[in-house]
Amino acid sequence: MNAQHAEQNLAVIRTLMERSALYRRALGPIFLVTGGIGVLAALAGLILPMESRAGFLGLWIAAAVVAIVVAVLMTRRQALRDREPLWSAPARRVAHAMLPPLLVGAALTAVVGEIFVVMPVWMILYGCALHATGFVTPRAVRWLGAAFMAAGVISLAIFGIWYSARAAAGLMGATFGGLHLLCGLYLTTTQKGSNGQ
Amino acid sequence: MNPDTFQKLDRVIHEAGRMAIMSTLAAAPELAFTEIRDTLNMTDGNLSVHIKTLQTAGYVAVTKSVQDRRPRTTCSLTPRGRAAFSEYIATLAQIVKESKTS
Repeated sequence: MNAQHAEQNLAVIRTLMERSALYRRALGPIFLVTGGIGVLAALAGLILPMESRAGFLGLWIAAAVVAIVVAVLMTRRQALRDREPLWSAPARRVAHAMLPPLLVGAALTAVVGEIFVVMPVWMILYGCALHATGFVTPRAVRWLGAAFMAAGVISLAIFGIWYSARAAAGLMGATFGGLHLLCGLYLTTTQKGSNGQ
Repeated sequence: MNPDTFQKLDRVIHEAGRMAIMSTLAAAPELAFTEIRDTLNMTDGNLSVHIKTLQTAGYVAVTKSVQDRRPRTTCSLTPRGRAAFSEYIATLAQIVKESKTS
């Protein structure tokens, strides 16, 4: 063996260790709860149609904040139970993968006025964020990301022709509620072991 | 470069397949046999042979259980395996370092 071979071996070891360091938190229950929050927010939007931009953004940003807080608390609980750090290397990779599309989404929300544009943009960018985590999370999460992106594109096409506040609430419920619930149900029934893998 | 450094490389680990298995297991508390097989694109037979060698050396622990009425085989590094792998990586790093200083 020469030094070049040793260096190659070290690179292979690093790559394999990174690949197998999967994000091992059970995402199924987290998606079920966030999906539930999405459905509740959609019901609120259907009962009290948010015609104004401020009302729509207020409702869904509040729902997102609640969902994020609950997801972090559930993740923390799992990490404590498994005696693993919350801010582990895979967790950092998930955060790094999700952050750019989510920041772009936040910036666009601030500058784009029309709800019928903001909403599909949220779906597409959230889908991108989920899809980007697919290298360290179960394959289903990548599919969930793809579903969000597709829903965003379809919403963009529909709202280009016709828009109503109730339809917007329904579509948000079907995606941020329904898609999360479906993925959560799938992961809960298919993931094995205490850590969900 | 010191030739003794090369002699320190663990022969059990210093084989492409087994090095890959050790690397994969080093990053996770435990992995299912099928997860290792799929990650490394190995055949069942090839992986079994390497796991057996690592198990015999005391580097890998194999646990068989039944989950949802289906057999499940999981593998993990033993403390001895983890120490041997750390030593192996340190030796590789030393080879690289020595080649740069010589």
